[in-house]
Amino acid sequence: MLPRLSALRFAILAAALIGFVVVQTAPAQTPQAQSGPASLAITGDVPTPLTLSAEDLMKMPRETTSVTEQDGSKVEYEGVPLREILKRAGAPLGNQLRGKALASYVLAKAHDGYQVVFALGEIDQAFGNQQILVADKRDGKSLFGYQGPFRLVCPNDKAGARSVRMLETLEVVRLQK
Amino acid sequence: MNRTKSLVTWTVFALLLLALFDRWAVSAEPEAAYAWNLPKGFPKPYVPANNPMTAAKVELGRYFFYDTRMSVNGKASCATCHKQELAFTDGRAVGVGATGELHSRSAMSLVNVAYSAALTWSNPQMKSLEEQALTPMFGEHPVELGLREGDAFLPMLRSDPKYQALFERAFPSDADRFSISNVTKAIASFERSIISARSPYDRYHYDRDDSAISDSAKRGEILFFDQRLSCFRCHGGFTIGDVTVSERDVMRDVEREGERHIEFHNTGLYNVPGLLSYPAPNVGIYEYTKALEDVGKFKAPTLRNIALTAPYMHDGSIPTLEGVLDHYASGGRKIASGPYAGNGHDNPNKDPLIGGFVLSPQDRDDLIAYLKSVTDEAVLHDPRFSNPWPLTK
Repeated sequence: MLPRLSALRFAILAAALIGFVVVQTAPAQTPQAQSGPASLAITGDVPTPLTLSAEDLMKMPRETTSVTEQDGSKVEYEGVPLREILKRAGAPLGNQLRGKALASYVLAKAHDGYQVVFALGEIDQAFGNQQILVADKRDGKSLFGYQGPFRLVCPNDKAGARSVRMLETLEVVRLQK
Repeated sequence: MNRTKSLVTWTVFALLLLALFDRWAVSAEPEAAYAWNLPKGFPKPYVPANNPMTAAKVELGRYFFYDTRMSVNGKASCATCHKQELAFTDGRAVGVGATGELHSRSAMSLVNVAYSAALTWSNPQMKSLEEQALTPMFGEHPVELGLREGDAFLPMLRSDPKYQALFERAFPSDADRFSISNVTKAIASFERSIISARSPYDRYHYDRDDSAISDSAKRGEILFFDQRLSCFRCHGGFTIGDVTVSERDVMRDVEREGERHIEFHNTGLYNVPGLLSYPAPNVGIYEYTKALEDVGKFKAPTLRNIALTAPYMHDGSIPTLEGVLDHYASGGRKIASGPYAGNGHDNPNKDPLIGGFVLSPQDRDDLIAYLKSVTDEAVLHDPRFSNPWPLTK
C-alpha cells in the first residue's frame, strides 16, 4: 500500500501525464480566417462603456446608405448610426453638446491598429449632422473578410480613408471638462 | 377606279422608297457598340475618342499581336514577350528582342492594361496604348521588333488577302487604311479587350462563394489589407494594382478640371553608391523628371495572376514570390557584394510605407495562398486572346 502522500503525488503525475498526452495528440489548430473581433467596444470618457455584439446592433435603430463603387454601381450598407451608439454610451450629444463638450472627439480604431478621428460636432444633428454608419451588412449580406464584421461608412466623405474596416473600438475623448 | 389604282401605285412606290432609304440608313450606321461583358466591380474602360472600340479592330489587333512578320527578321511578335499562358509576360528577367538584344526591364503583364493610368514601369507621361505600341515596333534602344519606316511591313499588309479583309472590316471608311496609325489603333484595341476577373478570389469576394478559396488564402487576404503590411496601399482596387483609369474617372477628371495623380514607388530594392542610388539604366521616373528624389521610383504593377509572372520587380531581380515577401518584410533589399552592393533599406528615396514587418511561417504561407488565389486560369486559355494564325505560321 502506497503512503497517502505518494498516492497523491502519483495521482497528480498521472493526471499531468494524461493531460500532456491529450494536448500532444489533439489535432493541430489552424487559425480560422478571422477578420475583426466579433464585438465592438465603446470606451473612453463615457458614463456607460459598452461592448456590442452583432445581435445587439440588430436590435438598435438601423439605417441604410448607398455608396457608389468604382465601377459606378451602387451598393447599400446597413447598420446603426454612429451617433445612436455614442448616445447609448452616454457621450455628450444633443443638449449636452455645448461649451467644453464641443472639444470632444471619437477615435475609431481598427483591428489592425488603423485609427481615424471624428469630432462629436461632426456627428451631432444640431451641428454637422453627418450620416456616419457602423455597418454590418453590405447589400443585405454580413460583412466578411478584411471588411468585417463591422466597419464605418462615411457617405459624405470624398475620400474613403475614414470608412474604417474591421472596426474594433470607438473611444470617446473629452479634451476639456 | 383609275384614281384608286393610281393611289395604290404611289403608295407602293413610296413604301419601296422608304424601305430602300431605311436599308441605306442601316448600312451607313457605325458598327454596334463593343460588347465589353464586364465582370462585377469592373468599370467601363476609358477609350480615346479617336479610336472607339469595335470587334473588328480587336480582331485585327489580335492578328498583329501574334504575327512575327511584324519584326525586322520575322523572329518576334508582341506575343514573344507577352505570352498568354504566362498572363502576357515571358517568364524572363528581362525581355529579348527580335535581334537578341536584351531589354533592361521585365515584360509587364497586359491583363487589364486598359485600366492602367500610366503605362510601362517608369514613364509618367506614357498614357496611350496607341502611342506606347510604337516603342516596341520602332524603338532602337533596345531593338524589340526592329521595324523601320519604309520597310516591307506595310507593303506586306497591303498584299496579304487576310489583312485586306481584316482592314476592310476594321477601317471601312479610311481611304488609305494600311497605315501605322491604324496598326497601333488595332493593337491597342486588342490589348484593351484583355480583361481578367475570373479568379477564385473574385468568386469569393464578388460572388460571396465561401468555398472558392482556402482558409489560408482568406487569412492571407486579411494580412494583405492589414495596416502593418499595407500591401493594399500600392496594390489596391479591382486590378490589385496602382492607380486606375476608367471612362467614369476621365469624365470626373474633366468635371473637376484636374488630372489624376499617379504614384511611383521606390521600394528600397537597391542603394548603390553614387549620385543615383539605382543601377543605370533603370533609375525609375528620374529618367524623365530628372529630379533626384525620383530615382528608383517605379510603378506598382497589378498583382492579378502574379503567381504566373515570375521573376519579379522591374528588372526581374527577385526570382520568387517568397523572395518578394522577404524584400518587403526586411524593408528593403541588402546586397552584400558585387556591383550592386548596398542596403536598399537605407535608400534615401524609399517610400515610407516600406518600413518592414515580421511574418510568421504561417503568415507567409497565407499571403502566398492569397496571391495565388488571384490567378485567373480562364484568361490563360481564352480563345478570344489566343493566336489566330494557323499553327504552321
